[in-house]
Amino acid sequence: MMTAPQARPAVPPVTAAASAPEPAPLLDVRGLTISYGNARGTLRAASDVGFAIRPGEVMGLVGESGSGKSTIAMAILDLLGGGGRVESGEILFDGTDLRRLSAPERRALRGDRIAAVFQDPFTSLNPALTVGRQIAEPLIQHKGFSPRQAAARVQDLLSEVGIRDPRRVAAAYPHELSGGMQQRALIATALGCEPKLLILDEPTTALDVTVEARIIDLLAKLCDSHRLSALFVSHNLGIVNRICQTVTVLYGGLVVETGPTGRVLSRPAHPYSKGLVAALPRITAGRRHRLPSIPGTVAKLSGPPAACVFAPRCPFAEEACRSRPQAMLTDAAGDGVRCWKADALAGIPWPDEDAGIARDPKKAQPRSAPLVEVDHLRKIYGANRSILPWLRRAGTVAVEDVSFTVGRGEVVGVVGESGSGKSTIGRALLALTEPSAGTVLFDGADLTRRVRQGDQDLRRRAQLVFQNSAASLNPRKTVGDAMDRPLVLAGRADAEERRKTVAGLLTRVGLPSAYADRYPHELSGGERQRVNIARALATDPDFVVCDEAVSALDVSVQANILNLLAELRDEMGLSYLFITHDIAVVSHIADRVLVVYGGTICEEGPTGRVLRPPYHPYTEALLSAVPRLAEDGQETPRILLEDAAPTPGGQGCAFAARCPRKLGAVCDEQAPPVHRTDDGHRIACHIPLATLAERAAVFPELAGDAPH
Amino acid sequence: MLAYTLTRLVYLALVLAVMSVLIFLVTQAMPGDVASMIAGQFASKEVVDAIAVKLGLDQPLIVQYGQWAAGILRGDLGRSLVLEQPIAPILMEALARSLVLAVVALAVVAVVGIGLGVLAAVRRGKLTDQLVSGVSYLGIAVPDFFWAIVLVLIFGSYMKLLPTGGYAPLSDGFLPWASHLVLPVVTLVLMLLARIARLTRSSMIDVLQTNYVKFARAKGMPESVVILRHALKNALLPTITVLAIDFGLILGGVVVIETIFSYPGMGRLLLFAIQRHDLPLIQATILVVSAAYCLANLTADLLYAYVNPKIRHGMKAA
Ligand code: SF4
Ligand code: SF4
Repeated sequence: MMTAPQARPAVPPVTAAASAPEPAPLLDVRGLTISYGNARGTLRAASDVGFAIRPGEVMGLVGESGSGKSTIAMAILDLLGGGGRVESGEILFDGTDLRRLSAPERRALRGDRIAAVFQDPFTSLNPALTVGRQIAEPLIQHKGFSPRQAAARVQDLLSEVGIRDPRRVAAAYPHELSGGMQQRALIATALGCEPKLLILDEPTTALDVTVEARIIDLLAKLCDSHRLSALFVSHNLGIVNRICQTVTVLYGGLVVETGPTGRVLSRPAHPYSKGLVAALPRITAGRRHRLPSIPGTVAKLSGPPAACVFAPRCPFAEEACRSRPQAMLTDAAGDGVRCWKADALAGIPWPDEDAGIARDPKKAQPRSAPLVEVDHLRKIYGANRSILPWLRRAGTVAVEDVSFTVGRGEVVGVVGESGSGKSTIGRALLALTEPSAGTVLFDGADLTRRVRQGDQDLRRRAQLVFQNSAASLNPRKTVGDAMDRPLVLAGRADAEERRKTVAGLLTRVGLPSAYADRYPHELSGGERQRVNIARALATDPDFVVCDEAVSALDVSVQANILNLLAELRDEMGLSYLFITHDIAVVSHIADRVLVVYGGTICEEGPTGRVLRPPYHPYTEALLSAVPRLAEDGQETPRILLEDAAPTPGGQGCAFAARCPRKLGAVCDEQAPPVHRTDDGHRIACHIPLATLAERAAVFPELAGDAPH
Repeated sequence: MLAYTLTRLVYLALVLAVMSVLIFLVTQAMPGDVASMIAGQFASKEVVDAIAVKLGLDQPLIVQYGQWAAGILRGDLGRSLVLEQPIAPILMEALARSLVLAVVALAVVAVVGIGLGVLAAVRRGKLTDQLVSGVSYLGIAVPDFFWAIVLVLIFGSYMKLLPTGGYAPLSDGFLPWASHLVLPVVTLVLMLLARIARLTRSSMIDVLQTNYVKFARAKGMPESVVILRHALKNALLPTITVLAIDFGLILGGVVVIETIFSYPGMGRLLLFAIQRHDLPLIQATILVVSAAYCLANLTADLLYAYVNPKIRHGMKAA
């Protein structure tokens, strides 16, 4: 029942003419079933998965976390580990079934014919070995190079992946390199033995957007010039759109759709694909409507499915979907979809969520005094005044002279990459860190001083929701206990009343009140983040700092949480400081946006203004790095930035080391002037405003919208 | 690295200075009067006072400390009251013997302990692991002297294979010298082995789960390279620290062990000095032991920094 109507869907090559003979696939995965077993039972991570990658083709394997995509990648590398087992199926590489090879034979292929790059460059390199040695290892192992030959080749490889001083990088230890450089070093390692197939497991997810843009660009070029095939595992459809020719969509360990990238992303056939595409946060001016989201959580199977796996979350589900599992249906072009209604649903989009309580942004603009006022905030970490002269340290500047306000009921977005100081700003606003200079006024009172004097009320009124929803909850405490604590601290004595409050808060964030008795590990990532939000709301705050609050979540869930946050703001009149690296996410929720770089504000303004020219050169680069789908309009050329780290605390412009429009010495030596306009837009740059305004819009489709 | 070493040396000097004050004060506060002990039970008060003046005991404490500390800085540890000899040569001899014991025991612990730990980690959950872990628990649960007694009984008294105590200088030949070392070394090893093995096992298990180990496997490195080159070097960091502390402990003369085996090291010397109330000898011994302990720790920190490039470079930048 699980098998396709044809044994294998005949997939004609995308590029070649129909008459050309079809090249044999380089990687052909058939009927792959993988399960994880432990004492509590077995979990099917992949069920009857099949796909093929032809020579020179990059295939995207997409799905939410838990969909089984990484498991499949690891199975191909024979690195499953952790109780994972391939139950059945074939993994044909160049015609040989890898499963029939002995372990040493498979190991010999790894790193030689099949190379891999993993998600997190910061932890993929061994901290105790030089980068050069790590790149040389496979050369010595598989190609029999002498260490000296290998060293020479390492330099070439590093140059090839765009590292300008390969000699220095080869001699460096990993922690001396930036994330982008580390990922380049890993790519160089993978390329060393001239493999035929690359397994790329979320290779850019841990990187900053501007760095990600460059790495994707590099990977695309390398695959092209070396005629490499690649399996590109990703949850990010925008990135997949840039680099993959074909896409395989996974859900609950099953392939639910396959086809050429352009077609799948512009006209998704399977309801799940429709949902994924719809939930992707796009750049929009203003928060007109709620983001579409996919309710519920990923299905977990323990055996062959008895119904359509997606039925519990599918808006188009009907009785027939629940009575039998779905087979893969293949159309004339060879595209597959695992949904019997796919043809009937062609052209029908994922349903929009009801507009709900979207408020008119104009009316909400606060006229009264701002809730939070930040004045010349400065924070230096690690300054050390020792009597021993060689221990004295000036410290690292995290935030350099930042001023802004947050109005009542206003959402201010702070966008920046790692090292921009955005999290430090958030912590200073919650009095979790003391400013080195400058003041933070909360409702007119000096926050730092008041908190130091033991003012618990100010603490109560400002709360934090942060990124890692798993780490922020104690695994040994039930959700109810975790939420009870802030209430006790707030002096609510009556246990019965507190219990009611907790139940009310859970309902408020869309969770059943029975969740109070659950433990964090029993919840999904999205549910945990809802608990975190509920806990932040427990003390009835006015102001919530959301530090990358949705960054670790899948797009479908991310949309969900964003909608919840927007709702809460409208109903409770909350103000947010919404800190994120993702400018697309910010455009959905923020009234105003601050773009920060190297501890300074480069640009600030109403969201609609920041998304349109004139741009600060950094904002322009950030916007151009936002991945887009074909239907969103023409891709504008991306602005690729250097890998250099920001240099906060210097004399000139913090962005000078990477700025593509740098004017020259003036940018290094003098702090840029701030251009201000009447509508509250300010840009700090030596380039005159009029010249900045001449640049073309990154999102021409926004041009027509009237700025509010 | 240089700046770091310098800083650490400055700290070391400070710590030792503070230690010397403490040692001096505490030993001075011990019951008994040095002068009357030297003079003997039946000496007249005048004789005792004369001795006290000669030794400078009539001076204020701070002056006495100053003289003592100045002597140490000149390399003069004073004279033993009981042995009526300069302390330095006696102490150096005992220190050398204890060092031999410590170095040999430590070397065995390091090699065997790390080896067992790695083995247990690699075979995690299998029989080897369970054996190593089980025996380790036993090693930790049983008190130190138990092994000593058991060993003495089996090898010394029962099988008469090895000397049960004492010491033979190397000049008597290698075999007699070595045979006297075996039992104390084995006892020390048994004491320390379990902790090192367990520590290495757990840090090795952590490291084996890291991404860089996964990536090394993805590069097709043979398992031996993955374990020895990629995992072990990182897993050893905590082990090194503990080994250094152990070294200090052994040097401090695991008094029990040296006593059981009548091994004439620092521990026994200290015990002797305390029993005889030989104040200068007590002070000098404790000071040397403290210094050795601090030096062992410093060595560990430097070694740690050397193995861990992150610290090494952090120091360069400082
Ligand atoms: S088979 Fe039914 S439930 Fe499953 S995806 Fe299609 S419409 Fe939705
Ligand atoms: S001031 Fe100079 S370096 Fe800074 S953004 Fe403007 S042009 Fe670029």
